[in-house]
Amino acid sequence: MTSLYAPGTEDIRQRLRPFGFFFEKSLKDLIKGIRSHNETPEKLDQFFKQVLSECREEVNSPDLNSKTNAVLKLTYLEMYGFDMAWCNFHILEVMSSNKLQQKRVGYLGASQSFYKDSDILMLATNLLKKDLKYDGNNDVVKVGIALSGLSTIITPSLARDIADDLFTMLNSTRPYIRKKAITALFKVFLQYPEALRDNFDKFVSKLDDDDISVVSAAVSVICELSKKNPQPFIQLSPLLYEILVSIDNNWIIIRLLKLFTNLSQVEPKLRAKLLPKILELMDSTVATSVIYESVNCIVKGNMLEEDDFETAMTCLERLHTFCDSQDPNLRYISCILFYKIGKINTDFISRFDQLIIRLLSDVDVSIRSKAIELVEGIVNEDNLKPVIQTLMKQFVDEDVVILQAGNIVYERSKRIPIIIPENYKIKMVKVIISICSADNYSSVNDFEWYNAVIIDLAMLCQDISDKTLGFKIGEQLRNLMIKVPSMREVTITNIIKLISNESINRQLPTILRECIWCLGEFSTFVENGDDLIKVMIGNTSYYSHSVQEVLILALLKIFSNWCNNAQEDKGIEVELMLKELVKFFENLSFSSTFEVQERSVEVLEFLKLSLEALEEDSDGLPMLLSEVLPSFFNVYELAPIARGTQSKLEIDEDIDLETPFLTKEEYDELLDDQKSDSMSDLISDISMAEQAEQADPEYIDYSDTSYEEKEKLNDHDNPFEIERKKERMTNPYYLDEEDEGNAQKSKDLLGLSEDDSSKGKPETIRLNRPDNDLKSLSLSTVGNGKEKKSKKKKKKKRVQVLSDQPVVEITSKKKDVSPKPHGNEISTKYSKIDKIDLKMRSKLESFDFSNFGTSSIQVKESQQGGDLKEDDDLELNRLEAKLNAQINKNDFNDAEEVIVIKKKKKGKKPKSKIKQKSKQENSPESNELLRDRNQNGLETS
Amino acid sequence: MTQLKYLILVSRQGKIRLKKWYTAMSAGEKAKIVKNLTPTILARKPKMCNIIEYSDHKVVYKRYASLFFIVGVTPDVDNELLTLEVIHRFVETMDTYFGNVCELDIIFNFNKVYDILNEMVMCDGSIAESNKKEVLHHVTVMDTMESNDNLERVLS
Repeated sequence: MTSLYAPGTEDIRQRLRPFGFFFEKSLKDLIKGIRSHNETPEKLDQFFKQVLSECREEVNSPDLNSKTNAVLKLTYLEMYGFDMAWCNFHILEVMSSNKLQQKRVGYLGASQSFYKDSDILMLATNLLKKDLKYDGNNDVVKVGIALSGLSTIITPSLARDIADDLFTMLNSTRPYIRKKAITALFKVFLQYPEALRDNFDKFVSKLDDDDISVVSAAVSVICELSKKNPQPFIQLSPLLYEILVSIDNNWIIIRLLKLFTNLSQVEPKLRAKLLPKILELMDSTVATSVIYESVNCIVKGNMLEEDDFETAMTCLERLHTFCDSQDPNLRYISCILFYKIGKINTDFISRFDQLIIRLLSDVDVSIRSKAIELVEGIVNEDNLKPVIQTLMKQFVDEDVVILQAGNIVYERSKRIPIIIPENYKIKMVKVIISICSADNYSSVNDFEWYNAVIIDLAMLCQDISDKTLGFKIGEQLRNLMIKVPSMREVTITNIIKLISNESINRQLPTILRECIWCLGEFSTFVENGDDLIKVMIGNTSYYSHSVQEVLILALLKIFSNWCNNAQEDKGIEVELMLKELVKFFENLSFSSTFEVQERSVEVLEFLKLSLEALEEDSDGLPMLLSEVLPSFFNVYELAPIARGTQSKLEIDEDIDLETPFLTKEEYDELLDDQKSDSMSDLISDISMAEQAEQADPEYIDYSDTSYEEKEKLNDHDNPFEIERKKERMTNPYYLDEEDEGNAQKSKDLLGLSEDDSSKGKPETIRLNRPDNDLKSLSLSTVGNGKEKKSKKKKKKKRVQVLSDQPVVEITSKKKDVSPKPHGNEISTKYSKIDKIDLKMRSKLESFDFSNFGTSSIQVKESQQGGDLKEDDDLELNRLEAKLNAQINKNDFNDAEEVIVIKKKKKGKKPKSKIKQKSKQENSPESNELLRDRNQNGLETS
Repeated sequence: MTQLKYLILVSRQGKIRLKKWYTAMSAGEKAKIVKNLTPTILARKPKMCNIIEYSDHKVVYKRYASLFFIVGVTPDVDNELLTLEVIHRFVETMDTYFGNVCELDIIFNFNKVYDILNEMVMCDGSIAESNKKEVLHHVTVMDTMESNDNLERVLS
């Protein structure tokens, strides 16, 4: 029961509050509470729960003071990850308070929590408009707060409404208001660009303001705007230049430099005037950030010409001193700038090789990782070895940072080991491979050494989780095998070492495919092939399906060479080996993978046949092994061939793919013949029949198309696979159109070759092809003088060049589009050419128009604006998609276009014989095989 | 001139003392950044450089006593050295305001710290007021007006 005179509790609280007596938890209590409940997470959780529920109550209270307090606490709790969006309306109430203190808290809460909440933003708009009414002196701070808050809350409609108010504020007598108004206008311009167009001069006049902080703000805003659209500000260049010359405030100078970077990108004429001034600035200033920005401005503002060695050297010398400094930040940023300069012309940085090698061993791994990007620019024949040695050492040795005693450091220990992260290791491996193989191994003069490097890399890569490195290393081994004939024996010894190393088999299985292929292809170097076969058969458990595909033919090749190179008679050993192989292939012929099954059945049947022949014929090897088998593989020497060469060849109309090798009658006859044969022959006969069936053109055709379909499906699976399949798809049967015209020439070639000319056209083409490749290859490589090495480039290279290609195309397209104010017509025009193109373009355009009302400039802006890199990525994706689409079409017209691109890429790769062997292509060999079998069948019968 | 994406203050124990986002990001993204960055930066050694790359942008950090100031910046646009300057200026300003600032000052007066920051870095982190006096002046003006508010309240 309360007395009439005694005040209620709520009343007392109200009265006491102004004196600092709060009954709710204050922010201090909250913070102290959090600290005292720190012992266990559970306890803390509980405390948070309790505080939050308190806040929930307080925020609902009618009293604005406790509401404010609650909002403040919630803002604090937001840092601990408690969402406060639920109380947005309460924040709004606090914002609308007349008390500055409460208003401040409200705006703070708003800037932390208002985000994409359209309802609240609409309400806030009205409030802001009210707060921005600038009347009387006392309101300065209030307006200031509102202007600060504006940046978070701005919407297009609000921007339109307040733009005029803000422009009046530009004329305020108080610099503070002018400054805030300028910064707020920045947000307005972004949302409502018409405001800038209509009041351009008014805004720009603030560059002449008496107050330095107003000028600074104006420069900043123009700098930011020019990032999005530099065009309208170019006319300001003289004024800005004037400021740059006269001002001595480093903050503003840096801003101006940034601004000029943006302007100079679209207006090359600025270069002549700016460059001397910037160089002068670099000389006169001592501030590192100004020097850094100057260099940045020169590089990014396209002021550094490719042949301007003088300027480049001035910049680089500066950076060189940065690199020598104790400050790791300076070393880091100079590495980045080095890279940018090197991108303009690698010759600029090539003389700094000593510096870069030193940076490779920097104590900071992030600097190392930047320096490693530079390495490609500086390697040559002389410094390749030290560079690689430096890198390889980092794999093995553990570097230690020794802290000097004088330094202010918090760690007690004086020696801190540098932990080398895995992604850096991966980067190192990739760089080592790419610098060595760059320009067709022109920097490598000691291949024995390179061999050792590759083997070391293989060993080291076992511990790295990125298994694609195995592919790269395997590829290097294969390249070495094919391109450097003099090193083959050494290389193959190394490969055998790898193959028989159990941990490699287990840890780095991706390397095996190429290794095994090499072993098969160059099995002539191996004397005791039987042991090798046994090793490989023993390790089969490690081999994946893709390795097995290669393994099957490799085993056959090794076997073929082994049994024919024997000095002494080893009939029994051959028989044993044959039996072992037959057993092995029998297992594989039940493989779940089509390809493996297919190949193993093919080989198995042949081996069975050979085994029979061997058993029957006791003296010496049967012809099947001594002549037929080698003839599968040793028709001609394998040469490296440019990637994509095959796809350049087109189908010859003259080639008859329709007529079966055997007519129906012949076929039946053959079957009848065989039926009358003895039982022992029956197995082989059936297999032969199978073969015949498979060789049936229609069957092949079917498998061919299905294969392509499959390929489309698998397109995204494995880049390596795709490339291989692409090669396979375009089979050697496809003649170059010119070949018809050059028939005479091919005949000549045919005549020159030792090969049996009766083998007909397909064979000719295959002989012919390497020559065609030579012709189509860029002349420089032919003129290289290093015969074998001259021909091929690496896969990786190809990817790089691919990414360069789109850039040219885009810029030309951009130029087409930009003059037109509305891109719709154009985009439809483009759509006829390429649908994907349309999609990307329209996205960009629509984005722009929504943001900027003014026309022609805006279109350009869309292209200049935003992150240029992102832009490039976008275009790159688009081109990739386009490329894929074209490949998928598998239309020859389109294919032609693809080829053109490929040609430019100069991506080259040795063509492996295996591909021809694979039966998807109705390859001559498989026909040959059939024919041989046919003969043999007749012989034995 | 500098386009900050965010500014986070983290203590040596990995506790967040202040965070300010200048670009619109979802709560999930924010949490991810904080979660990933904190251990990475805390693990860095004193002799390493103050710039690291994180996902699509760069992160500039600087350690003052027990606090790490972590700033996300746009790559290729920002001057990393200048960002370090901005951080330093921020610390200097706080130092003057609080008089030898320490971590506890920041914890207990986090709203004041926000005020200082808002005066220094404006408009989505793109503009910084480089004049320390200017910043302090306005913050103190606001503080006096606040206390005037309080006084008025008592008198009323």
